[in-house]
Amino acid sequence: MKVDISRMRNIGISAHIDSGKTTLTERILFYCGKIHKIHEVKGKDGVGATMDSMELERERGITIASAATNVTWGDEVINIIDTPGHVDFTIEVERSLRVLDGAVLVLCSVGGVQSQTITVDRQLKRYGVPRLAFINKLDRVGANPVKVTEQLAEKLGHNAVLMQIPIGLEDKLEGVADLVSRRALYFDGADGEDIRSEDIPDELKAEVEARRAEILDSASHFSDELMEAVLENRETEAQIHEAVRRGTIAQKLTPVFIGSAYKNKGVQPLLDAVVRYLPDPSEKENFALDADHDNERVRLVAEPSGQTVALAFKLEDGPYGQLTYIRIYQGSVRKGVELHNARSGHRIRVGRLVRMHADHMADIDEASAGDIVALFGVDCQSGDTFISSGRKLTLTSIHIPEPVISLAIAPIDRKSADNMAKALHRFTKEDPTFKTHVDPESSQTIIQGMGELHLDVYLERMKREYRVEVQTGAPQVAYRESISRKAEFDYTHKKQTGGAGQYGRVIGLIEPFADGIYEFANEVKGGRIPREFILSCDKGFRAALRKGRLIGFPITGIKITLQDGNSHDVDSSDNAFQAAAQGAFWQAYERAKAQVLEPIMKVSVEGPAEFAGNVFASLNQRRGMIVSSVEDGTFARVDAEVPLSEMFGYSTTLRSLTQGKAEFTMEFLKYARVPAVIAERLMTEYQDRRKKEASK
Amino acid sequence: MVKQELIARSPLRILEQSLSGGLGKGNIGVLAARKGVGKTACLVHIATDKLFQDKPVIHVSYRTRVDHIITWYEDIFKELARQKDLELPEDFHDEVVRQRVIMNFKQDGVPTEQVLRSVEALITAGHFNADTVIFDGYEFGRPESAADLKKFREFAARLGLEVWFSASLKGDEPLFNERGVPRELESFLPEMDVLITLKSAADHVRLNLIKNHDHPVAKGLHLHLDPKTLLIAEE
Repeated sequence: MKVDISRMRNIGISAHIDSGKTTLTERILFYCGKIHKIHEVKGKDGVGATMDSMELERERGITIASAATNVTWGDEVINIIDTPGHVDFTIEVERSLRVLDGAVLVLCSVGGVQSQTITVDRQLKRYGVPRLAFINKLDRVGANPVKVTEQLAEKLGHNAVLMQIPIGLEDKLEGVADLVSRRALYFDGADGEDIRSEDIPDELKAEVEARRAEILDSASHFSDELMEAVLENRETEAQIHEAVRRGTIAQKLTPVFIGSAYKNKGVQPLLDAVVRYLPDPSEKENFALDADHDNERVRLVAEPSGQTVALAFKLEDGPYGQLTYIRIYQGSVRKGVELHNARSGHRIRVGRLVRMHADHMADIDEASAGDIVALFGVDCQSGDTFISSGRKLTLTSIHIPEPVISLAIAPIDRKSADNMAKALHRFTKEDPTFKTHVDPESSQTIIQGMGELHLDVYLERMKREYRVEVQTGAPQVAYRESISRKAEFDYTHKKQTGGAGQYGRVIGLIEPFADGIYEFANEVKGGRIPREFILSCDKGFRAALRKGRLIGFPITGIKITLQDGNSHDVDSSDNAFQAAAQGAFWQAYERAKAQVLEPIMKVSVEGPAEFAGNVFASLNQRRGMIVSSVEDGTFARVDAEVPLSEMFGYSTTLRSLTQGKAEFTMEFLKYARVPAVIAERLMTEYQDRRKKEASK
Repeated sequence: MVKQELIARSPLRILEQSLSGGLGKGNIGVLAARKGVGKTACLVHIATDKLFQDKPVIHVSYRTRVDHIITWYEDIFKELARQKDLELPEDFHDEVVRQRVIMNFKQDGVPTEQVLRSVEALITAGHFNADTVIFDGYEFGRPESAADLKKFREFAARLGLEVWFSASLKGDEPLFNERGVPRELESFLPEMDVLITLKSAADHVRLNLIKNHDHPVAKGLHLHLDPKTLLIAEE
């Protein structure tokens, strides 16, 4: 089935943990499924059976696990893309954001804008994703949708406007009053599936009019037609919808909806709003880079014809085998056709093409621009671009941060060992921020990632999905070494021990390089070092960078310029120049004031304001630098920069300091110099360890 | 070296001289003007000058978002470096930033006691040895303002802090009385040690010293706010 692109929506549901994102997603799938079911049941086999709750649960179990779920709401098709909830998975979050055309930002009506709301909102903003807000949990004590709407404006800078107001609140929540249509909506039936529309209750009429005027005021900025109509008191609902839609797509207006997913209230109007206000895939600009033409930006056209460009944004090892989720940006993908992987150059044949629904998977023959579908049995990495023959287009490569933490793991038995290799292979393919290698010195398997929790999730997945039991060591911070000033080298490697000798001389300088790990520049003139040995020098430098001499960690942020040197017709060789480069590097390294760097995390702590003092103290004890704090009367958020090495066990400390009422999130920020005292300690430990190993 | 020069050549030395050595610990200084004249710019310049002297600053804002305040500091910092044409050492910026914390409170929701409690928690529990605290955007026209100001005073004295306020003037013309005191701040004058008003002229904003501790007010400050760079400058 081909879908009309204007009836297609690709949306994500983003939230702070505990805002009720999962419940809302479940309800959306349920209501969409329900409509689908009723339609199908009555139309085909006439069996009017309703599902029992067990079946429903099972269905939900499947749906929540898939990366993109295709549902139907009325005549519209919505792909709901799962956006991982935790900031530890930055790369995964960002990749899934790329494929969204719109998003629903879920907020708790009590907690309001919380630390992760800010993070996900910032990410959505960076990728230019238009959004609606849904204030959930109106049934909770202390619910205050007006306050939360104000927070959207104050804390996130949204031009947020309430589209509904609650009828009753907390345990007296009855329904919602829709401001545009001036109707009161109640959600009847066991699961709130029957919507009853009535007149606005008298006591709410004044507020409805006042808030409706606010909508008109905000929306008329985006439509002259509406503005004129409002002046003459003849605005229509369609005019208002059109203006709100324009404002939303331009990301200058955030319509706010309210409800309680748990109490089955307000979900269907939210779905109507998704269709009404969020853009279809053709309304968002997307670009690819032309790898053959200096990465020139090429605008993609969301039409079924033209060269196919699709992004593999998620790999999943599900109960049905390996699935590769793709978003098609241009052209079409048909069963049986051949595509190229723009990164590896490999050709793939599209075998099975499927669409993931809430309760089943459907085989399809073709899908076109704008759509999100899955391929079976395709070998690729997450983030790869598939193209049909033509220009070598890749979707913008996403910057991949270096892992900041590592953990040694050892399988407890033979069977676990086999499966562990499989699991690690899969995880590294799925998630480029998750890395693994075998340490040549200890022969231990090391896994690396973006935080303690990041690695925990993979250990848990190993256990659950691959039945792998492992023993783990203590988590290790990924320190780095670097230099702080320029230093010159002039080094000759010379050996004459019978047979062919070794000779190579290199002259040049090393200096700090802020923009990356390593850069090599060759300024040797007149062939004083033959061309093939320049490469040997580069190789030699790279080898030296792998392990620093202060604490044995990789060296980063170095630019090396090779200026001059000498070679010998007979005695110079690849090996000789590699050795010369290494010798030269270590000669200059000491003089360049080598230093130890550590990862600094951006930490955000949130909790009741009364605990602010405890939070300040706990961050200070951890060498934290407090950047800011924000208080709104009841809640406080403290943002700080704290070295990762000090953050182990912080969740336990925070819990005991705040009676479990505060929580924190963290993400990698930057590498920074370790204070001298600590650097000294790390260096001593490293030297002791080396001595011990040597004496063994 | 660079730091010393930045400090010595700052026009804020003139302000200090006029104030017979500065605002001084335990004292309250107020910058008053209509909205949009440049109070925050002046406060951020004063704060940055303190930071250059390794004196930690807490910037409390009631209205502006934290990221906007940070942008203010970044802009002023860059402008100062550019103007003095100084090659700043790499770590200098980070060192300066380490000495600064921005706190944001919602004035409607957070009573002054709680604001002061949180600021004090940062200083004591958080071991943040503040020299100066800036309260930017505090609203003076409230019923509780007189009582609040006494609390701020007690707080400044007890913790030995220099405290600067911005006061946004909203009244009808004439804004100022014959002594140049903003009419809406007249009743608070006894609680203020220093009062400076900002008045916009043709192409700049002039700083007027209205109250200087218990000293008679000397003639002119000879300082203005450059509307292009948003820095305090000599006339």
